[in-house]
Order: sequence, then structure tokens, then C-alpha cells
Amino acid sequence: MQAGSASSEPVVRAESLRHTYDGKAYALDGVSFDIRKGEVFGILGKNGAGKSTLIKAMTTLIRPTSGGLTILGLDPARDGQRIRERIGVVQQGESFDFTTVQGNLDIYGVLWGIPKQERVRRREDLIRRFELEPIRKQRSFDLSGGQKRRVQVAREMMHDMDVLFLDEPTVGLDVIMRRELLDSIKKEVRQGLTVVFTTHNLEEADYICDRVAVIDHGKVLVLDTVDNLKSLYGGKKTIEVTVAGSADAFFEALKGRLGTEDSLKAEGSSGVVLTSDPKRTLQLLLELAHETGAQLDWLNVRKNTLEDVFIDSVSRSTE
Amino acid sequence: MRLMYRNIVVNIDPGTLVILIGLPAMYLVFFGYGFQSLVPASSGSSYLRYLTPGIMAFQSVMAGTVGGSLLWADRRYGMLAQLLVGPFTRLQYLLGIMFTSVVFGLTGAFVMMIGAYALLGSLSLTATGLAIMYGTIVLGSIFFGSLMLLLSALVKSNNAYNSIQILLIFVVNFASTVFYPYSDSLPLPIRALFEINPLTYVANAVRGGFAGALTTADLVGEAVLCVEMVVALFLATRAYMRSNVSFE
Repeated sequence: MQAGSASSEPVVRAESLRHTYDGKAYALDGVSFDIRKGEVFGILGKNGAGKSTLIKAMTTLIRPTSGGLTILGLDPARDGQRIRERIGVVQQGESFDFTTVQGNLDIYGVLWGIPKQERVRRREDLIRRFELEPIRKQRSFDLSGGQKRRVQVAREMMHDMDVLFLDEPTVGLDVIMRRELLDSIKKEVRQGLTVVFTTHNLEEADYICDRVAVIDHGKVLVLDTVDNLKSLYGGKKTIEVTVAGSADAFFEALKGRLGTEDSLKAEGSSGVVLTSDPKRTLQLLLELAHETGAQLDWLNVRKNTLEDVFIDSVSRSTE
Repeated sequence: MRLMYRNIVVNIDPGTLVILIGLPAMYLVFFGYGFQSLVPASSGSSYLRYLTPGIMAFQSVMAGTVGGSLLWADRRYGMLAQLLVGPFTRLQYLLGIMFTSVVFGLTGAFVMMIGAYALLGSLSLTATGLAIMYGTIVLGSIFFGSLMLLLSALVKSNNAYNSIQILLIFVVNFASTVFYPYSDSLPLPIRALFEINPLTYVANAVRGGFAGALTTADLVGEAVLCVEMVVALFLATRAYMRSNVSFE
């Protein structure tokens, strides 16, 4: 690990960041945040929310249209190469050379200028840690989706870095391998690595992230520690409801009669209500079922998760 | 250098080598012996001796396809974005591809020369001649590398890329002096193609080097080749630098 920035200085600082591809719509629309050294920072958002654009900006692949951005105290517009020498990136899509798993690790080590002896040591360590021994001689393009992800993450660990950007790293992994991967990332974080992590999987964000930013339509909707976000909604409960018949009318009526602090996310015959008054909301559901002729098939009241925070913030932003 | 090492390592699989070296070698053997029968034995001329520098020149086209295919594959299989978020600039990536093309061009030409020596039994080459031959192949490899880079930066579909590349190789190869000399008896459009085709100038100059000296026409051809190379390199660099790099 190289010497990082002073601990007081954020590793990533974005200030009113905006980016447009076509001069009309903004993929990033005034994004501001700081990422501190040694934390796991999660970026949550649905497809098209602006996550990939944000990652591209932070990894110097695109230059934001306006706003301020520093990575490790450096300006990407001026010091792109110096930044890239100190970051690691695991892309969402696959990226391999036409060679074996071992060959891919070796070539990556060469590209990063790792001396041969050290390269072999790291390669063997990663093959062991990521359980790649049975596939080390296989061509990377012949691997299963999960194996490819493991190789991509392992390959990135071939070189030293101060910040690791992981774009949906656990897609295609089984539950055990996902947990092992997250644990290995946690281990790196304990050694001082800063991780920026995008995911759709809110359980894993809950498991690994210190802070999360929920983004939608290029804006940061909420940004806080996972614990704070959950406690913000601590007084609330989530009610899951499934109805048969007149679902549209039922959810339309429900939306109009929920309290201002409550929110609804409905899709087809199912809906999720985040409410501060579950007793009153349950009563309301029964009344509306009667009024609209809908039949309540299933009701479930439970504690909030990070997923509820996410759904609530996104649904409020689209109202 | 690191990028060049990587480019070479990922391109030296047997399939690629068969196309890069095997195909021109087959031209040398089959065309060399096949068309020799059309040359009267009494003339004392050897078609194989005529063809050898042509096939060496053709290696610059094959080298160009290596460069184009590298960018194409890197773009398609995600490695371009991965490399560009690594410790490299776009320009370094481009230079890596160009140098790789040159290495393949020079190596291929050398292998063809060894093959010709094995077939002919002797080659009388001078140091100046060798310098002219290999210097010209460097220029040709950069030209065709740029042309193929331009193609891979602009074309979006895999089928279109392959089709255009095959068509280009065919036209460039057969509308040049690689296999036969330029003749005033050729139809006007084909003569025009010969005259604008950089491979004609590469083949003529390599043939001049093979013979030990360049004619005035060869020198003019070298100058034209240099201009074409600079234009192609400029256009390819511009297209590549402006192209979008995506993670997806």
C-alpha cells in the first residue's frame, strides 16, 4: 500500500458534480460527498441512476461537465495518470485477455510493473485465497460467471492501491463465495484500503459498507452511515401487502390517503408501505380493500432494512 | 514496453500465428512454385525471387491487422476500459499497439526471408538493402496499423469489422505490386488503385532493397508512403482519442 493522503483529507471529494453526455439530460446533477480514508463507501441506485457515470468520473474515464472532483487530493483533469497508478478498478462487465486464469494474473502483474519474484508470490497467494487452483489453466472466457468475477477481483489485487472501486463485484457469485469475497475486502480495508462499492444488493451493502449514498436521477438522495440511516427510519415499520383484483385502484387510493411521513412503492399486485403508524395503516388497508373491492392476499409487518431506506428515498424522489 | 509485452503475449496463440505467418508463407510456396510455370524456363527468371520481397511487404498489412484486432478485441471484451483505468494514458495504449504492429511486421518479414532462403538456396542481400527493406516495412506496418485502428475505432459491429477487414486485405493485396508488376495494360480503375495503394510503394521499395538499390521511382514512392502514413496515423489517433470508452 502506498502512502495515502493525510487522514484529515478525504480520499475522494466531489462538489456539485454534474455530467451530461448529450448536453440535455444530466447523468450527474449536483453530486457532492466526501469519502474518507479506510472506509467502505457504498453507492446504491437503480439502473440508470448515475452510478456508472460516477464511477467513470472517479476513475478518470470521463471528465465531468462541471463541479469539483479530487481523488487522493489530485485533480483527475490534470493528474489522471498519477491517480490511476494508485487506484484499482473492478468493472461490472467482464474484461479478460485471451489467455488462462494464471496468464491473466501474470499479464496484469507485468502491466503494473510488479517484479517477477513478487509477481509469482502474489499470483500464488491470490490463486489460493480466491480458490482458483482448479481453474488456473483454463481460459478465462471459458469460465462460469461466478468464476470470472473471482478472477477479476483477484487480478485487481495483484497490485498495490490506495482506493479500490468495485462496480457490482458480487454479481454471479453464490452465497458462500459472495460472503468470502466481502470478507476478503473487509480484510483489505482493515489494512488501510479505501473501497468504493456499487451494488444493487442492499444486504451486502448493509454487511460491508460504513456509509452509503443512495443516488437517483444523478442526485444524492440520502448519505449517511448504514446505522444512522436505519435508525432514521427506526420509528417506522414496513408493511408488505399483496392484493388480488383491483390492485391499481387499491394502490392509487392508498397513495392518496397515506400520511405525509409514509411512503408506498407498488408494482403490479404487490406493494411495500413504509409507515410511522403501522396500526393506522393496517386499518387503512382493510378499509381500502373494502372500498375498492380488492382482496388482501398477504400482509406482513416487519422491521426496516437498508432496502426499505433505499426504496423510500427513491420513491420519494420520483413523486 | 509493458503494453507491448502484453499485446504480444495475447497474440502469439497458434491460431493467430497460422494466419499471420502461415498464410503469407503459403502464398510464398504455392504462388512461388505455381506461377513459376508461367515463366519460360529459358528466361532464367525466378518468380519466387520476384515474389519474396512482395510477400515481405505484405507482412506490413498482416501486422496492421494485429493492431486493429487488438483494439477491436480490447474494446469488445472490456480490456480497453480496464487498461485505461490502469497506469496508462490513451496515447501510451495507442503507441503500444503501433509498436506491436511494427514488431509483428518485422518478425513476419524476417520469417518470410528465411523461408525464401530455404526455398531459393541463396539470397544476396546488402546491409543497405536490408535497412531499406526493414525500414520500409516499419513505415508500412504503421500505415496499415493506423488504417486498421481507424476501422476498429469507427466500426461498431463485429460482422462489419470482419467483412471490411477481409475486403480491405483483398483489395490492398491484389491491387498492388506484391504478386505482379504494375502494367499500363491494366484497366484504368485498377491502375488508379495501384497508384494510391501504399502497399505498392512498400512492395516496390522492399523489392528495391532486395535488389540492393532504390530507383528514383522507389524514392518517390517512399515519400508518398511517408505522407500517407502520417495522414493515416493522424486520422486514426484522432478517431481513437475521441471514441467513447465504456465499462459495460
